[in-house]
Amino acid sequence: MIRSDEILNTVDMIQKENLDVRAVTMGISLLDCRHAEVERTCQAIKDKIIRQAGRLVQTCDEISGEYAIPVVNKRVAVTPIAHVGAGFDAPGFVRIAQTLDEAANEVGIDLLGGFSADVANGMGPGDKELIASIPAALTATRKVCSSINVGSTRYGINMDAIVLLGQTIKTLAESSADQGGFAAAKFVVFTNQPGDNPFMAGAIHGLGQHDVVINVGVSGPGVIARALERKIAQEGRQNLGLHDLAEEIKRTAFRVTRSGELIGRQVARALNVPFGVVDLSLAPTPNVGDSVGEIIQILGVDSVGAPGSTAIVALLNDAVKKGGTFASQSVGGLSGAFIPVCEDQVLANAVRDDALVLEKLEAMTSVCSVGLDMIAIPGSVDAATISAIIADEMAIGMINGKTTAVRLIPVPGKEAGEFVTFGGLFGESAIAPVRNVGKSQRFVDFAGKIPAPIHSLKN
Amino acid sequence: MSNQYVISIMSRDRVGIIYEVSRAISELQGNIADLRQSVLCGYFSMILLASFPASITQRAIERKLAEVDARSETPIDAAVEQVTVEALPGAPAIPENAYVLTATGSDKIGFVATVTSFCANRHINILDLSTTTSASSYVMILIVDLSRCPSVAAVRAELASFAKEQGINVVLQHYDIFRAVNEINLPIR
Repeated sequence: MIRSDEILNTVDMIQKENLDVRAVTMGISLLDCRHAEVERTCQAIKDKIIRQAGRLVQTCDEISGEYAIPVVNKRVAVTPIAHVGAGFDAPGFVRIAQTLDEAANEVGIDLLGGFSADVANGMGPGDKELIASIPAALTATRKVCSSINVGSTRYGINMDAIVLLGQTIKTLAESSADQGGFAAAKFVVFTNQPGDNPFMAGAIHGLGQHDVVINVGVSGPGVIARALERKIAQEGRQNLGLHDLAEEIKRTAFRVTRSGELIGRQVARALNVPFGVVDLSLAPTPNVGDSVGEIIQILGVDSVGAPGSTAIVALLNDAVKKGGTFASQSVGGLSGAFIPVCEDQVLANAVRDDALVLEKLEAMTSVCSVGLDMIAIPGSVDAATISAIIADEMAIGMINGKTTAVRLIPVPGKEAGEFVTFGGLFGESAIAPVRNVGKSQRFVDFAGKIPAPIHSLKN
Repeated sequence: MSNQYVISIMSRDRVGIIYEVSRAISELQGNIADLRQSVLCGYFSMILLASFPASITQRAIERKLAEVDARSETPIDAAVEQVTVEALPGAPAIPENAYVLTATGSDKIGFVATVTSFCANRHINILDLSTTTSASSYVMILIVDLSRCPSVAAVRAELASFAKEQGINVVLQHYDIFRAVNEINLPIR
C-alpha cells in the first residue's frame, strides 16, 4: 500500500506543479504509400494516416482522464517525405504537404512532423526538390513541421545543404512576415537527428522502425523546480552540495518519466500498436512555473547566461537521463533538457535583459539535449550568417556524437530588443542580437563538405 | 479440528502490548494467521486472525485476554469473534478498478460522513482511508474500488457536481499512477 504522503505528493505534482505528458506521438511509416503519380500517393498517405491515427486523440483523452494527467499534444510523425516522394518535383512535394495537413486536421492532432530529408552525406534530386518546396509547403499548411538532417558523426556536415537552408529559413520567415516569421518556427535543421523523437518540429518516423509505433515525450520542469525548492528549504542551502541536488533531480526525473511510460504503454495497448520509446526531455512551456530557466536559477545563477550556466545545464541534463533511464524500458528521442528561448519565460526574460546571448546559448547546447531552439533574431540578418550559425551548431553535434539542432526565426522588420509573440506553446521573446553579422560570407561560399571526424585520439 | 477467531485489541500505546497478547494466544495453542496494527494519536489498535484447537472456547480466549488486561499497566480492551475464513489472502490485493480519491476542504464537522455517504450511495467500496491536515485544510485519502460502479465517467461527473455543492476539492485518479511514480515495478496489467 502506498503511504498517504506519497499519494499527496503525487497529486500535487499533477495538480500544482504542471506534470504532464507533453506529447504522445504516433510514428507511421509511409513507405507503402508510394505510387507513380502524386495524387495516388497523396490518397494512399491520407488513407493510411486516418486508418492508423483515427482513434489516437480520443484514446489519449480517455487514458489521460483515467489518470488525471494531461496529454498536452497528440501528434503524428511520418517517414521522411523525401523517401516517399523521391522523383516528384517541388509542386508535387507541396501537394504531399497539403495532404499531410488535411490528414492531420481530419484526425484532430496538433502537429505532424516528417516533411523531412536526410542529406548528411549528399543530396539526391528528391532531397533538392523537397528542400526547394519547404517555404511553399509550410506556408500552405498549418500543422506540418519540417526538418532536414545535414550532418552526422558518421558522415560529417553537408555545407552545400546548409547554404541552401540559410536561405530557406529567410524565405520561410519573410513569407509569414504578418505572423512574425512564424513559418520558420516549424522548421529545424539537425545533426544526428534521431528517428524516434516525439518532439516537434523535428519528429520523424525514421527508417528501421516499426510500421506504426507510439512514442512519448514527457515534460515536467515545474515538478523538478518545486522538488529542488523543497529540498533546499528543508535541508538548508548551506547543508547541500550540487551532488545532493543532482540526486534530487534524478529521483524526480524517475517519477516524471514513469508517468509518461505508463500513459504511453496504455495508449499503445489500447490502439494495439507497439510502444516505442519515452523521450526523457525536460520540455518547458511559456507558463509560469514550467521553465527550465527557472531550474538553472534555482541551481545557483541569478541570471541564466551568467558564468556557471553551462555547468548547471550539464548537471541537469545528465541527472534527468540517469533518473529517466531506470524508469523506462526503452528510452530514445532527444532525452535531456531543452532550452527553447521563446517557449521558456525565464530564458526569454534573460535574453530581454541581455544576460543570455547567442554565444552563451551555443555553449549551453554543447551539453544539453538539443540546440539553438526557438530563438528570434533580427530579420535583417543575412542568409549566409544564418548558415554559418547552423554550421557552428552542427559541428558541436558532429564532434560530440550528440544531436544538435537549429531553429531560428529571423523576424521580418524587427531588430534586436524588440518583441515577437507566436502564441500558445510557441511563446514569445525579445529578439536576440546577433554579433558579427555578414562576416562569414567567405566561409559559407566555400560550401562543399566538412569531413567526418576522426573516431580515435579523443581529446 | 480447530476454530478461527478474529481478535481486536485497543489500548494506549506502550512497549510490549503485542508481545503480551501474542504470548497469551500461544499459551492457548493459538496460531496467528494474519495481523494488522495501527497507532493513532498515541492509541494502539490491532486486529488479528488466529486459529485455536477445538477444545479452546471463545470464553476461554476472552478470560485469557482479561488476565492480560489485569496485569497490564494500561487498560486493554479486547473483542473476540468466531469466524470462518476459507483461504487467506496474501498481501492485501488491490483490484484492477482501484482509484485514489483525495478530498480536500476546510476542517468541519461531518466532512468524513459527507464524503463517505457519496461513496456509499454509489456502491463505491472503500479499501483504505486515511486523513491528514495541512495548512488549515483537511485532506481525506481514500483508496476505492469502482468495480461495482456502472461507469467511471459517470462517477467523475457526479463527483464534480458533489465537490462544487460541498465547496471541496476532489481528485480521482487510477491507483496505478501512484504505483508507477512511487514503486520500482511498473504496473502494466
